[in-house]
Amino acid sequence: MTTDNHVDPRGPRFGAAITSVLSLIAFYLSLSNQSLAYAIVVALGVLFTWSLVSPSTHPYGWSFAKFIRPNLAAPKELEDPRPLKFAQQVGLAFALLGVIGGIFSAPLITVSAAFIFIAAFLNAFFGLCLGCQLYLLIRRVGIIR
Amino acid sequence: MDSTIALSIALIVVATLAGLVYRFFRGRGHSVSGAQCIKLEKLKILKDGEEITKFGKEATVVLFSTEYCGQCPAVRSSLAKLEHRKGGLLFIEVDITHRINLAAQFNISQTPTVFILNPAGEIRFRIGGTPKPTTIETELKKLGVK
Repeated sequence: MTTDNHVDPRGPRFGAAITSVLSLIAFYLSLSNQSLAYAIVVALGVLFTWSLVSPSTHPYGWSFAKFIRPNLAAPKELEDPRPLKFAQQVGLAFALLGVIGGIFSAPLITVSAAFIFIAAFLNAFFGLCLGCQLYLLIRRVGIIR
Repeated sequence: MDSTIALSIALIVVATLAGLVYRFFRGRGHSVSGAQCIKLEKLKILKDGEEITKFGKEATVVLFSTEYCGQCPAVRSSLAKLEHRKGGLLFIEVDITHRINLAAQFNISQTPTVFILNPAGEIRFRIGGTPKPTTIETELKKLGVK
C-alpha cells in the first residue's frame, strides 16, 4: 500500500466546516431570498467539482495548508483519498439537485442545502463522513469497483 | 421568532442529534447469538507470510480492514499489542479491499469491523467502527482471556 497521495484527514474536515457554514446560509436564505441562496448552491457545486478535478489547487486545501496546518501537530494517521473523493461526488450530486432542480422547483434548493449541511456538519464536528461510509456499501453491491 | 431562523436552528439541532446518536453507538458493538462461523480454510488469512490454520486457544480477534480505511492502522496496532499482552489470544486481519464479497457474506458495512471469536471460530461479538477502548478486553474476559 502506498501512502504518497494520502492526505491529512483534518484538511477535509476543515473544508467540511466551511461547507457547513455556506450550506447553512444557503438553507436560511432559500426560505427568504431564493436568488442569493441559489447563487450559494451554485458556488458549492463549483467547489465540489473543483475538489474532484484539481484537489491540490482547491481554496479549502490551500487555506488549510497555509493557515491551519502550520499550527497543528503532525497528523497521527493519513487517509486514503478514494472515499473522500467519493464523498465529494455525493456532495456534488446534492449540489446539482439544487442547481438543476432549483430552476424548476424552488424547494429543491432548500432540500439540497439541508442535505449538504447535514453531511458537512457531521463530517466537520463528529468525524462522520457519510459519503465515505457509503463508499464501502456501494462497492459491496457492485455499483463501483 | 422568525420562522426561517427557527427552521435553520431546527436543522442544526437535527444534525447535532444525529451526530450524538452516531457517537453513542459507534464502536460499542454487540453480542452475536447465532453461531455464524469463520472458516479459516476458506478465508486463507496470511499472517507474517504464513497461512493461519488454527484459532487462538482462548479467543481470536478478527479485524476487517480496507486499503482506504483511515482508522484501521490505529486499530491494527492496538490489537497487535493486545495479542502480545494476552495469553491464548490470536489476532488476525482480513483486508477486504479486493475481496468485497466477504463484506456481504459477513454483513460488514464499514471498516474497521472487529469480530471476537470463541475457540471454535464462532462469532460471539462484533463491533462496527473503531472499538471503544475497553470493549474488546471486557468481551475477551468473558471468553477466559486474561
